[in-house]
Amino acid sequence: MTAEVEPEWQPEKIGVDGDCPNCGDAALARYPVVAVGGWMEVVKCQRCLISVSRKPWHRSGFITLPEFEMEER
Amino acid sequence: MTMTPEVPTRLVGVDVGGTFTDVMAIVDGEVVASKVPTDLYATETSVLKGAEEVGVSQASVFNLASTAGLNSIITRSLPKIAFLTTYGHRDMLERGRLWRPFEALTNPNWRRGISDGSRPLVPRYLRRNIRERMHANGDVLVPLDAEQARAELELLAECDVQGVAICLLHSYANPSHEIQLRELVHDVLGDVVCSISSEVSPLAQEYPRASTTTVDLLMKLKYTDYTARLEKGLADLGFTGEFNYADCSAQLMPAEYAMDKPHRLVVGGPAAGTVATAHFGTFIKETDLLAADVGGTSCDISVVLNGEPWVNSYFELEWDLVITALSTEIVTLGAGGGSIVAIGRSGELMVGPDSAGATPGPVCYSKGGTAPTLTDAALAIGILMPDRFLGGKVPLDVDLAVDSFERLDSSLVTSERIRQAWLIGLHNIAEGILDLAVRRGIDVRDFSLVACGAAGPMMLPGVLDNLPLKSVIVPPNPGGFSALGLLSADRVYSESKTLYGLIDERNVASISELLERMERELLDRAGVEARNVRVVRTFDARLQGQGWETPFISLPSGSLSAASVAPMVEAFHTEYKRRTGNKFDQFPVEGVTYRVQVIVPSDKVAYHPLESRGGGAVPVAARRALAHLYPDGADANCYERDALRRDDEIVGPAIIWEAMSTTFVPLGRKALVGEYGEIRIS
Repeated sequence: MTAEVEPEWQPEKIGVDGDCPNCGDAALARYPVVAVGGWMEVVKCQRCLISVSRKPWHRSGFITLPEFEMEER
Repeated sequence: MTMTPEVPTRLVGVDVGGTFTDVMAIVDGEVVASKVPTDLYATETSVLKGAEEVGVSQASVFNLASTAGLNSIITRSLPKIAFLTTYGHRDMLERGRLWRPFEALTNPNWRRGISDGSRPLVPRYLRRNIRERMHANGDVLVPLDAEQARAELELLAECDVQGVAICLLHSYANPSHEIQLRELVHDVLGDVVCSISSEVSPLAQEYPRASTTTVDLLMKLKYTDYTARLEKGLADLGFTGEFNYADCSAQLMPAEYAMDKPHRLVVGGPAAGTVATAHFGTFIKETDLLAADVGGTSCDISVVLNGEPWVNSYFELEWDLVITALSTEIVTLGAGGGSIVAIGRSGELMVGPDSAGATPGPVCYSKGGTAPTLTDAALAIGILMPDRFLGGKVPLDVDLAVDSFERLDSSLVTSERIRQAWLIGLHNIAEGILDLAVRRGIDVRDFSLVACGAAGPMMLPGVLDNLPLKSVIVPPNPGGFSALGLLSADRVYSESKTLYGLIDERNVASISELLERMERELLDRAGVEARNVRVVRTFDARLQGQGWETPFISLPSGSLSAASVAPMVEAFHTEYKRRTGNKFDQFPVEGVTYRVQVIVPSDKVAYHPLESRGGGAVPVAARRALAHLYPDGADANCYERDALRRDDEIVGPAIIWEAMSTTFVPLGRKALVGEYGEIRIS
C-alpha cells in the first residue's frame, strides 16, 4: 500500500540582492517562517541556511482577520 | 577491612565526578583508594592519573563510570549535528512530550531546556524533513524520496555538520528507509558519524526514540575519541586487561561494545552505590534493601528488591530529554552533611536543599562559610570529633559551628536550634525514603537501609526514629562504598525491541523468533557459550487499549509455544497487581517491548568474614559527652571500627570512628557487628 504525496505548499521566496556573509554565495532570499518566537520574516542564505536578518511578521502568519488589519492601520 | 577479588587479580574502578575522580582498587586484598581533582576540560587525564596512582599496570580489569558525556550535554558543549525525520515532524525535538512540570503549569514564560527558545541540542535549521512515510505495521505508505533527501543532505554539507541522527516514523517496524537514508548520508556527506533510531533504540514512540538517537550520536562523537585516548593512555601505563564502561544501571560493558550505543553511558556513576548494596546483600543474605548514599550535598536513595536494583526502562537527563535505556531509579534529596540550616519567612528552621558544597563548606571548616550546616550541628552535638574528621585531614572548629547557630535570626535558644536542625535534616531524609517506598508499593518494615557515603552512617541511624525500618546497616568502608559498586557488577550485553501484538497463540511464534534472534546476536557479540552466561528475558506489556506499559515482566527461557501463553499472561497480571494493586484478568494482554540481557559473570569484590572476639568486652576508645541532642544530656562510648569483631554489641548512644566516616548509634538503639563487619543498628 502506498499513498500519493501531494506537492506541499511553499511560501514564495523573494530573491534579495547581496552576498551571504557566511559562504559568500549570492543566494539570499526573503520569506516568512514560523518558529518558537512566532512568525518571522527572514532573509536567509539558501545555500548555507544562515539567517542574515529576522524580524517579526504578521502575528498570525498567513491568516488575516479584519481586526488585525485595523490594528496594523 | 579486608576484601579480595573472588579470583586473585587486581581490579580498578574509576568514578568520574564533577569535583573529584574517585579511584578504587583491590590490591592484595586491601582497598586502595585515590582521589584526583577532575579536569573538566580533559577528564581522561584525571582518570589516567588516578589509574597510575593505584598501579593500573598490574590490573586485569579497569572499570570506568564516566560523566564526560553528561557534562557536555548539561553545558551544551556539543558538536554541530543534523537531525533527519519524516516530513512534517522536524519539530518533535522542540515539542518533547508536550508535558510541563507542575511548577510551570501556569507559567506562560516557561520553556523546556531543549526547545528552540532555550538551548536546543539541534537548532531548527539543521533539523530537516525527509519525504517518506512508514505505516505502523511496517508497510511503506510513502516511498523514500531519494532526490528530495539528497537535496537536503547537500544543504547540510554546506553547513559542516559532524554527524547525522535519523529517526523516521515507525522505523522500529521496518528500518529499510532509515538504512537507505544512512547510505545517502554517507554518499553525500562522506564519512560522518550517523545514528539511526532502528538500531539505537528500536522501540515504539517516536519522541523518546528521536531524543535517544540524538543523544546517542552526540555521545558517539564525544566518546569515540575519548575512548581512543583512554585506551592509548592505559596502554602507555602498561595496562593490558579488560576495559569496561559502566552503564546507567552500573552494569559493565566492554568499551568496544559500549561504543555501539554510547547513549547508555551518559549517566554512569550514581547507580554504582545500588549495585554495591545488592552485591553486599548477597553476603549478608539480605535481598530487600534500601540504599542511601549521603554525601556533602545530597542523599541518593534507591531500592534493591529480590536482590536486584530497581531499574527503569527510561530516564530523563533534563526535563523532556528522554533516554530509553535501562537505568537504576535513584531519588535525590537535597539533604547531606553540607545542607544549609536557614530561617524561613515565618521564622521556622529549614534545612537544605541549598548546600555549602566543598567551597566554602560548613562553617567549622574555617574556610569562610557563614551559614550553619548539618555537619556543624553534628560537630556541636559531639558526634564528630574536631581532630578526626576525614582521617584528621580537615580540622574542625566547634566554636565557629556553635557561633553560626547563635547568629541565626530565631526565637529558639541555641541548643534547641542545633537539636531541631539535626532532627529536621533526618526527617527530610525519612520523608524522601517513605515517598519512594509508597510510590513503589514497598513496605519499609520489610527493608533494611544500607547507609553509605561519608555522612550516611552518621545521619541515617537516626532515621529509625521516624521510619519503622528493619534496621540500618553500615557496610565496611562506607565512605567509598559506592565506588566499590564498579567492582561489584557483571558484564551485560542487552537488546530490546518493540513488537506490538496480543499475547496469544497466534503471535507467540513471532515473539519467540524475535527473542531467540536477539539472544543469538547478543551471544555472538559477547563471544561466549550460552552455558557460561545467564540470559534474562523480560517484556513490557499492557492491557489491550491502555496507553502505558507495565515493564519488566519475566519470560520463560528457550522456545515459546502455545503452552507459554498462559504463564506469560498470568505473569503480566501478577506484576500489574503488585505495582498497582489491581488485577484485570478479563482483558487481553498486548505485548509491546521485548528485552534480552546476556550476563557474563565478572571478577568482583568479595567480603571476608570477621573473626569473633571469643569473650571479653568491646574496647572503648574514649567517652564523650553529647550536647544539645538529648534534653537530659548523655555520654557516648566511642569505638574504633577496626577494633570491632563479629557479634560485638554496642548500646547507644555510641560513636564508631573510621578513616572516612563516623557512625552514630542513637540513644535507645543497639548496634550489632555482623559476619562481614557490617554494623546493624536496630
